[in-house]
Amino acid sequence: MVRDYNNRHALDQKLRGTPKPVNADHLEVGHWQAIATVLAQVGLEAAVQRALSSTPELSLRYCGPGEWLVVSEVDTPIGLMRRLDMLCGTQAHVVDQSDGRVLMRLSGPCARRVLAKGVGVDLHPGAFALGGSTNVLCGHIAINLARTGEDIFELIVSRSFAESLFDDLMTMGRAFDLSAAFSD
Amino acid sequence: MASLITCPHCGVRPKEEFAIRGDASLIRPAPTASDEAWHDYVYVRANPRGRTLEHWHHVAGCRRFLVVERDTVTHEVYSAVDGVVAAREAQR
Ligand SMILES: [Zn+2]
Repeated sequence: MVRDYNNRHALDQKLRGTPKPVNADHLEVGHWQAIATVLAQVGLEAAVQRALSSTPELSLRYCGPGEWLVVSEVDTPIGLMRRLDMLCGTQAHVVDQSDGRVLMRLSGPCARRVLAKGVGVDLHPGAFALGGSTNVLCGHIAINLARTGEDIFELIVSRSFAESLFDDLMTMGRAFDLSAAFSD
Repeated sequence: MASLITCPHCGVRPKEEFAIRGDASLIRPAPTASDEAWHDYVYVRANPRGRTLEHWHHVAGCRRFLVVERDTVTHEVYSAVDGVVAAREAQR
């Protein structure tokens, strides 16, 4: 039997269809996002971080010592891999996660109150600084949480957990009239 | 149960983010040690009242193994250090 391979977004079924109005608190899901994990060789953590930070197009998300998720707004997945290959060489292990992870952007005046229902870290602006990021448990799902704006948070989750996390976030945000859509 | 653990990499986190991986004070016997010594190392565990050293795996965070010293009676956490650091200290 011959089957066509359809490359569908993990949230295609949830978000496809009629566009809904965007409310003050909004969950935006990037359609295709270039993401890679970088794990530095032991002893080369600082060198790899320097190399990655030298490129303004790349956004680093801290996972653990010597490990980051790298998000690019401008590259294709292949372009990002090529760029990381040039930056890191043999100093780090780089794995493309563009199809393996889903990025969601939660924004709005009540974003912190939505997240606080499922996340065990202090989200106060003074404690979770702009540009900060960390791995954290949201409900029962492990995510990477980053603060990318005054009231903007980005969540990166494994593809197979994306639907569950999406449902959880919509439940957490129901009291604040949270809306959701693909970004394009 | 100690409900807040200060991970050296991630900061203060709830215990739900961790998996406890057992006694961290055991010392692995030599490969040629007696069957009794290996049996004790693999199977026999104390159920201590008071201070204990345990391996805690930060599964939902940095995914590093920590060595946590805590009290099973008062729930007080005395220290939490990265496993690599703890191993280096122990070798000294
Ligand atoms: Zn941690």
